[in-house]
Amino acid sequence: MREFDFLEPTSVAEASGMLAELGEDARVIAGGTALMLAMRQRMLAPTHLISVAKIERLHGIDFDAAQGLRIGALARHSDVARSPLVRQHASVLASMATRVANPQVRNQGTMGGNLCYGDPSTDPPGCLMALDAQVVLGSARGERVLSMQEFLLDYFVTALEPDELVLEIRVPPLAAGTTGVYTRYLRTAAEHRPLVSVAFVARREGMHCHAPRLVVGASTPVATRLSRAEDLLDGQRVTPERVVQAADLAAEDISPVEDLRGSAAFRREMVRVNVRRTVAELLGLTMEEGVVP
Amino acid sequence: MSIHRIECTVNGEFHSVDAPARRLLSDFLRDDLHLTGTKRGCETGVCGVCSVLLDGEVVKSCLMLAVQVIGREVTTIEGLARGDALHPLQDSFMRCGGLQCGYCTPGFILAACDLLKHKPQPSTDEVRHGLNGNLCRCTGYTQIVESVLHAAEEMKHGN
Repeated sequence: MREFDFLEPTSVAEASGMLAELGEDARVIAGGTALMLAMRQRMLAPTHLISVAKIERLHGIDFDAAQGLRIGALARHSDVARSPLVRQHASVLASMATRVANPQVRNQGTMGGNLCYGDPSTDPPGCLMALDAQVVLGSARGERVLSMQEFLLDYFVTALEPDELVLEIRVPPLAAGTTGVYTRYLRTAAEHRPLVSVAFVARREGMHCHAPRLVVGASTPVATRLSRAEDLLDGQRVTPERVVQAADLAAEDISPVEDLRGSAAFRREMVRVNVRRTVAELLGLTMEEGVVP
Repeated sequence: MSIHRIECTVNGEFHSVDAPARRLLSDFLRDDLHLTGTKRGCETGVCGVCSVLLDGEVVKSCLMLAVQVIGREVTTIEGLARGDALHPLQDSFMRCGGLQCGYCTPGFILAACDLLKHKPQPSTDEVRHGLNGNLCRCTGYTQIVESVLHAAEEMKHGN
């Protein structure tokens, strides 16, 4: 790893000023799990690391009934997994966070850092998109709030401007009766990065499904909402046949990534299977009721 | 290249050492403090042999900079025993044969410490899940899992 200076600003404005001045030669470090790997492999060789650990604004997890959850960018995956507030108000997010990578990475990596890296093969983006989360960005010029769709632009590309930081993630309160299911598919049990992830959030009334948000991640360059499948489920009585149809639409509507971990065709099939399982689980449908596993 | 005074507590002992910003925590522990129980393996965050406890939580010291532990408390494998009395996990790995070459053992034991702190009576599945940031290339894991389950039993009975 090449030499660098380690800077520790204590405010968003100060950090933003450093980023504006140093440009591409500087990188922000939060937990550092992804950044250290990139630097050790010489994919990145910044002359300056700007640590955001001492910026109070980026810490903490709070909830209020109007705004919902506020998850500071520096909340680690293990903080999100164990937070009583997250478990109470967005249990699917806590459940997702218990599965990110491995215990060591969950104790070091942060939710904000994960989003800034824009790596599609990780768990948080899809789950946050299904929860209709927003990302709050800040710089010396002020703050702005983006939806997940506006924030995640492409494979490893986000809407972050060079002088901006992610300050926090907001998860709006879920309507009464709304629940979520997050499913990840790993090629082998030892892998830490999902090949497919499916997040499904909807309000359930008996076997009817309302306001569904269905998102596929890890198999696509960015987490992607599946609006045709959502429309097929919205306001409908969800039968096993309808689950199968929704999963077929989902598989049809994505442009899968193709790499050494899986071909596009394989990923498409795994998306189909995992959408079926995820939607069926939220509605409480089992194989006995005719859902093809 | 900035130089930083790394002031931290390691295994209950306060240290103050000047190191460059790029010094990894694993190198700091081994090369500056000569605590060679923490191993270097893949050095890319995969194998987990460099695992240590930071403020009681397991992290991979090859993915962390020494400057990130300023003011914090690190525990390495050297810090687990109380005098001559081994930690129940150390004892259990020995009794249950949870190792062959032993290179991965410090990392497994520290990961297991974190696991048992949160789940004092884990199931077999929970042990496997809790140790999935660590690799062993000798044993096939069966006896590692048994070692952790055995230690959990011992700790329940206050041994």
